[in-house]
Amino acid sequence: MTTLAAPKKILPATTAASSNVSLDRKLVRNLAQRSDKPGLLWLASWIAALAVSGFLLSLAVASSSTLLTLAATLLLGTILTVPSYAISHECAHGTAFRTRWINETSLWIGSLLYFEEPYHRRYSHTRHHTYTWHVDKDSQMPFDTPMTLKGWLLEISGVALVLYESKVFVRNALGQFSQQTLAFTPENTLGRLKWSARACILIYATLVLLLARGETWIWTYLLLPRLLGGPVMLLFTLLQHVELKENSPSILESTRSFTTSAIGRWLYMNMNNHIEHHLYPQVPFYALNKLRQAVEPQVPAPDKGFWRLNWEVLSVVVRRSFGLGTRARSLRQASHMIVSDKDAKQAKTVTFAHKTTL
Amino acid sequence: MTSDSNEWLFVDTIDALDEDDFMRFDHRGETYILYKVKGELFATDGLCTHEAQHLEDGVLIGHIIECPLHQGRFDIRNGKCAGGPVCEHLKTYRVKVEAGRLFIELRTG
Repeated sequence: MTTLAAPKKILPATTAASSNVSLDRKLVRNLAQRSDKPGLLWLASWIAALAVSGFLLSLAVASSSTLLTLAATLLLGTILTVPSYAISHECAHGTAFRTRWINETSLWIGSLLYFEEPYHRRYSHTRHHTYTWHVDKDSQMPFDTPMTLKGWLLEISGVALVLYESKVFVRNALGQFSQQTLAFTPENTLGRLKWSARACILIYATLVLLLARGETWIWTYLLLPRLLGGPVMLLFTLLQHVELKENSPSILESTRSFTTSAIGRWLYMNMNNHIEHHLYPQVPFYALNKLRQAVEPQVPAPDKGFWRLNWEVLSVVVRRSFGLGTRARSLRQASHMIVSDKDAKQAKTVTFAHKTTL
Repeated sequence: MTSDSNEWLFVDTIDALDEDDFMRFDHRGETYILYKVKGELFATDGLCTHEAQHLEDGVLIGHIIECPLHQGRFDIRNGKCAGGPVCEHLKTYRVKVEAGRLFIELRTG
């Protein structure tokens, strides 16, 4: 192809190019091809899993065992909540299904369960990809970095999500959009955002009203499972960027892939391949494993193990909050996130000396 | 020349463009994409109107080109937006083949 002059400047964004990663264009195009079949199979398996776990919960409730009921609620909650996040995310990209209306319907239902207005979900996520983990630019940086125990508790409990999204629901329903929302939402879709937020609020209000009128199944089979499943979902999403470098043009420095079990990969729609997803967001969830193999020599090895990594994150944030060293055993961390035990000890001594001088 | 201000520019031989495929063409600081779908040829601007990402890394789904970064969609037949987050249409251009050579009609005046 003849290039007669340099083309117009492309907007700098956090992409494969800004991360110095490149794959054969034909290969990426092939991996990005769309199909309904994998998404529909996944959707069918999710509905089946919800039915089975709902049935198990009904047996546990009938048994009057508090422990069994709690365990079954947590099971249903995990199966309800992690995939609702995953399908909402995949459909926000429009990659879950080839057929657009199936994609858009799934986006709406998934986002409703996840607790974010569907179009806000889509548009705010565009900023997350344009400026991945860039402070004040990425619209999906839910906690301050470096993370502390307080930040972890707010994030994993779901309190931060509920507070933030509740505010967004109300503001958008009233048409009083924040500057941030206005920055990432195409102007001609603000009306759609407003009416969609109103529809969501109406559905949530109807559920609350029905519950108040004695429809207790809403609490048992929907609200409580969603609340208990929330932390599991947030443990998955936390690993995507926590302890990694802010404001880097390279996705390899700001983002983490990690290994998890087959169940974890199914619940999360393979989004544990998170570096790969950010490098090539046009590749659908069912092709991410192939993408990972293709890009493997150019990216950091995935961190190992969902539970182990979350334990290490918790350990790091606790230690940070108490002024101790913050080096994790295996979790990949940006260098500025790490304070050695020796430095932490010295810092404490200096602080103490400073206090005594005062 | 088709008029005073438009010109048919040679892009490549038609063999360079496979069926259901697309290719990039740069000219005088502008960038374009040429497509071949079901034997028909189309051409559009090369950059997404949303956040100026190049569509050459995008996905072609029938007559829809999807941006690689945010998955905004355009119909390559008329450049119209076909799915968020895009809201500004894509410019389209005429394409022709003569003696196995592929041309795009661009405004030069």
